[in-house]
Amino acid sequence: MMDWLLPLTGIVLLLNLILGMLRVYRGPTAADRMLAALLFGSTTVAVLLVFAEWMDVPALRDVALLFVMLAAIISVAFVGLPESDEGNP
Amino acid sequence: MIALTIDAIIAIGIVWLALQTVRGANVFSAIIMFIVFGLIMSLAWARLHAPDLALAEAAIGAGITGALLLVTWRRVHVLEGRTPQVGMAARSLWLTLPTALAAALLIASLGWVALTLPAEPATAGELAWQRLPEMGVSNPVTGVLLGFRAYDTLLEMAVLLAAWLGARVVASELRPGALPGPAHEEVPLVGALLSLVVPISLLVAVYLLQAGGSAPGGAFQGGAVLAAGGVLLCLTGRLESADQTSLIERIVLILGLAVFSSVGLMMLPLGEPMLAMPGVWAIYLIETALLLSIALTLVLLFAAAPGLRRSS
Amino acid sequence: MNLQEVVATALLLSGCFFYIAGTVGLLRFPDVFSRLHALTKADNLGLLLICGGLAVQQGSPRIAGLLLVIWLLGLLAATVSCHLIARRALQMTDPEQRP
Repeated sequence: MMDWLLPLTGIVLLLNLILGMLRVYRGPTAADRMLAALLFGSTTVAVLLVFAEWMDVPALRDVALLFVMLAAIISVAFVGLPESDEGNP
Repeated sequence: MIALTIDAIIAIGIVWLALQTVRGANVFSAIIMFIVFGLIMSLAWARLHAPDLALAEAAIGAGITGALLLVTWRRVHVLEGRTPQVGMAARSLWLTLPTALAAALLIASLGWVALTLPAEPATAGELAWQRLPEMGVSNPVTGVLLGFRAYDTLLEMAVLLAAWLGARVVASELRPGALPGPAHEEVPLVGALLSLVVPISLLVAVYLLQAGGSAPGGAFQGGAVLAAGGVLLCLTGRLESADQTSLIERIVLILGLAVFSSVGLMMLPLGEPMLAMPGVWAIYLIETALLLSIALTLVLLFAAAPGLRRSS
Repeated sequence: MNLQEVVATALLLSGCFFYIAGTVGLLRFPDVFSRLHALTKADNLGLLLICGGLAVQQGSPRIAGLLLVIWLLGLLAATVSCHLIARRALQMTDPEQRP
């Protein structure tokens, strides 16, 4: 039961990531694209935790810890972005 | 089967994201694609059972490079006073098609050679694995980095120092202070974030250093995590660039190289080879010095400043 | 299939559901503020459920504690990021078009 549930969860989350890519394409504003990056961050954390359990590599939980700990840095860097809308080419 | 599906999604995702990063519609999308590329890359390292590399990718990718690109974007924007339109040059089919074909051919032939090579047991790896218990550390990555290829690791530290010196020379050409710094307006919640994340990054850095002996981790990952805490302090204006490199900063910058070299030379009079490790204590001493040097070098490189000081 | 596995399966599947719900919100909602709202809330609930499912399945208190710390840090990062992005988005929007 559990030996297929964990990889299945991983696949669902990865597909979720791919769907989220659409938002990076569509934009339209830079803030929308940052939101997509936020989605990828939290989904990657979940995937890493699932992998840690499924593959029995406990160090992957440390990797997930680093990602959640440092996730806000990118948003803080983004806040200083210029005023105008860089979303559209 | 299900594992193969996961690996296929990750592998296709990496190539596709790399493509999107170099040919994105605009620079901001390309930056986001690059950040996502780092995330997927760490998943790939995870699938390859290489948590050491996943840790490094997480610390560098999430903590430093993404922020560096976003800050660079902002500085270019302020310096030029307009949205930069760099890097998205017109594509010429006559140039890209043969280049892509040649690259594909190269990769295919390399892959074919790698697949058809007789499976020789990796002798160096086997020897290192057998003699690992003599090192006193059970994490093979740390053992190899400090025991079996210590010379490489030492020179990597020299390269890091040289990179900082090079950046320092270039930065002084740009006149210090000419670059606009991050916005220093006080935003709610940022104080709370700092008061939690910065101490935790220090704790995690020490944890990774200590874990490096027996589990994935080590000086480089720990240093990068500590540097990420410093980068956060720079971004929020808690640290600002100073005109001079202070004495303490100079000492910390060369600490890794100095401690590593002196421990390495210490065993020479006793007839041991250079860089022979006198014991486990030496490994932890060197790792601690490396961690401090790596962290400070990365923060100074990020800030493009000769030194840092607390903002008033 | 014992109770532990049933609970873990239910938690993991509902975690996936909330992640997908967050992504659907990100794709379908009309403006950046509602997208923020959808994404940050749903994803954090999804992360909690997945952490819970993994903790139940693993059954070790140490790992459950680590998963709890990861979730709390994720909550902090999402809260701060959401606030910062919303702030920037508000500055970039025309005053007449603000919600």
